[in-house]
Amino acid sequence: MTVDHKPHPKPVQYVQIALVLGVLTAVEVVLYYTEDTVGVFTNPLLIILAVGKFVIVVGWFMHLKFEDPLINKFFTGGMILALILFAIVMFERAAANFI
Amino acid sequence: MSDSQSYPHEDTGVETRKLGMWVFLSTEILFFGTLITTFMIFKGRDFPGIKLSDVYDIPFTSVSSFILLMSSLTMVLAHNALENGDQEKTRVWLLSTAMLGAVFLAGQIYEFTEFYHKGFELSSNIFSSTFYVLTGFHGLHVFIGVVLLIALWGIGQRQNGLSLDGGMNLEFVALYWHFVDIVWIVLFTVVYLI
Repeated sequence: MTVDHKPHPKPVQYVQIALVLGVLTAVEVVLYYTEDTVGVFTNPLLIILAVGKFVIVVGWFMHLKFEDPLINKFFTGGMILALILFAIVMFERAAANFI
Repeated sequence: MSDSQSYPHEDTGVETRKLGMWVFLSTEILFFGTLITTFMIFKGRDFPGIKLSDVYDIPFTSVSSFILLMSSLTMVLAHNALENGDQEKTRVWLLSTAMLGAVFLAGQIYEFTEFYHKGFELSSNIFSSTFYVLTGFHGLHVFIGVVLLIALWGIGQRQNGLSLDGGMNLEFVALYWHFVDIVWIVLFTVVYLI
């Protein structure tokens, strides 16, 4: 049984993606140094940027966007389990502080 | 490679080895997820001794992060070159990736040394322990990746060169390397910036 893959990006597109990643990293650093100006939005923006970079690398460099949905499910499953673990522990920590 | 020799596809339609690699990466997510969670439990609490925010150097770590990101680019270019049957370019990009990884590792060793000299040690407090375990395990993964890349480069020097069909597959090493990169994307934000 053979599997048909969607065509992968060209080298020029990979370079463009890397440039986007570089710019996003620069924005993160700028946000870190302008925390006093940006205020409470700093951390949410940093998290959004990290998630964006994560999705770009997984989707285009790891080719998950072009892979079989089953592989996507395995990877997303691991992510969901890790996030559930994180949420439970953070909730527990917050509850312990509250008590 | 003939059909009889090729690696089997299960009813899922996915090559067994590739599926195995993704399952492995899924378990690695849980591994690092646990370490990050442990780190976050203690982050922001008061402990005796010097604080992480007093010792780290954001510009230096930002450059390290950029280097690791660019190593993902050279890795994907190596993969692309091999897909196009260009053995020479594949070897060049592989070696570039290994060198960028080595530079990142050197940066991490320098950073750890600086932290130690400033008094932020593994045994300073439980928070410093979680920091070194988390970033140290990531560094160990980068080291393993560099060894795999150099091994692949060495295999590529042989007469038959590299192949995407069998043996120590470049695609799987690439997946592992990109995974190491995405873990650092999370660590850079969670450990250093937030």
